[in-house]
Amino acid sequence: MRMFNASHLEVKKYFTEDFQTQPYEAGWASEVIFFIMVEEISGEKPCLQARVQISHDGVNWCDEGTVSDPITSKGLHFIRVSHFGNYLRLDCRVAGESPSFKLNIQIACKE
Amino acid sequence: MHFLVLSVNYAYIYTFLTNSTMTDKSIILCRYRPLKQLLTFDVFDDGFNGWMEIMPNFCNGPDFEQSPSILSKDQWMPMMLSTSTYRYPGSHGSMSGQYSLKVSTRPVANRYEMMPAPGSMAHGIKRISFVRPDVHYLQFETWFAYTAEQDKCDNGGELPGLHENSIRAFGFGFDLQHGGNRYHCGTRYLNSVNGKLVKKWQFAYPWAKDDREWAYDTEGDWCRKGVDPYWFGKRFPDGRHQAFLDVPDGHQELCYNETDCKINWQYFRLLLDVKDWKYVEMQCQDRTFDLGGQPIHPSVPYHRIDGLMNPLCWVENDTNRRSFLYLDSVIVSQE
Repeated sequence: MRMFNASHLEVKKYFTEDFQTQPYEAGWASEVIFFIMVEEISGEKPCLQARVQISHDGVNWCDEGTVSDPITSKGLHFIRVSHFGNYLRLDCRVAGESPSFKLNIQIACKE
Repeated sequence: MHFLVLSVNYAYIYTFLTNSTMTDKSIILCRYRPLKQLLTFDVFDDGFNGWMEIMPNFCNGPDFEQSPSILSKDQWMPMMLSTSTYRYPGSHGSMSGQYSLKVSTRPVANRYEMMPAPGSMAHGIKRISFVRPDVHYLQFETWFAYTAEQDKCDNGGELPGLHENSIRAFGFGFDLQHGGNRYHCGTRYLNSVNGKLVKKWQFAYPWAKDDREWAYDTEGDWCRKGVDPYWFGKRFPDGRHQAFLDVPDGHQELCYNETDCKINWQYFRLLLDVKDWKYVEMQCQDRTFDLGGQPIHPSVPYHRIDGLMNPLCWVENDTNRRSFLYLDSVIVSQE
């Protein structure tokens, strides 16, 4: 039987500007999906784009190269990554005029 | 009661171990002093074992909203399986393997005498229930380590890259409901108060005068006096907190190594009398503290949860820097 665990990174939180998720240790897993659930969205042409970042120490970060499609609608979106070290996070860019996203972000890890 | 000598049910433990996939659990067990019946034996090299963060209750309309309260736990971080990996040494690993349970805060803090900043505290919990009507003693044991994030050097001081006083407190205990009462009981290590190292053990006992004072003078908050003592109860600049009292002779210098990226695994044990609802004793490293039969405060019961038994742990920041509490393994036992 395979090992699996899902944890919340943000829950029912409003975002109006760029942000990063908190460092998450996923070294035990070989594959990860970040689920991004948009519960509410408002503003003029609101757009959220998430890029995966990796770190050797949980403090210093660089882009891993995986970038989500532009997120412009309510509902469930995801971004997946399968080759990383230990620490993972999302670097999220929020664009548009007076944009607001109410988000649940979950990290699903599997070995 | 001073030093309770407790027998171990080896037949039960043998059965437990031979049914386990981890044959080296017998070695891990040797580091513990469990009561006769093991309820949980969690080694985090195996996985989370049901330990998770505590979150708000999403039961309100129109779309699973939180219950109104001065406390929102929506910024409390999730549990992780950690290799204790740092900037310079790389992975520290755990005591029993490579992974431990990591309880981490966000890098935020308020001064001690204020309400804790959202996310400045983190809390791990496992949810089980009472199994015997005649249980007399309940015990929590763990091997743990703690450190502060090695993020940046502070301004000034002799060792600006050592952050021991960024960790305000951590603790272990239970959330229980039995026989029509709710009980929050546990002990915490109060490490730092507004940057000043204190290093003493305290046990949970609410001394606020009523529910209103317990909730920072909020009328009608959902929380009742005695519930969630790690967060509720007013705090004062001298280190007093309406949720805790000092353990007699409870000062202890724990092992915080020469740099934030060296951690040492340390033993903790808390013994409770859950027949007469009293603290019996606690142990950390090689010191045992007599808790003198101090009463465990009965709070009003909550709906639908009689029989609830939740072992738990928590950690709190003293500065805007992440604090990490690691649990190598946990045993909850009773007799």
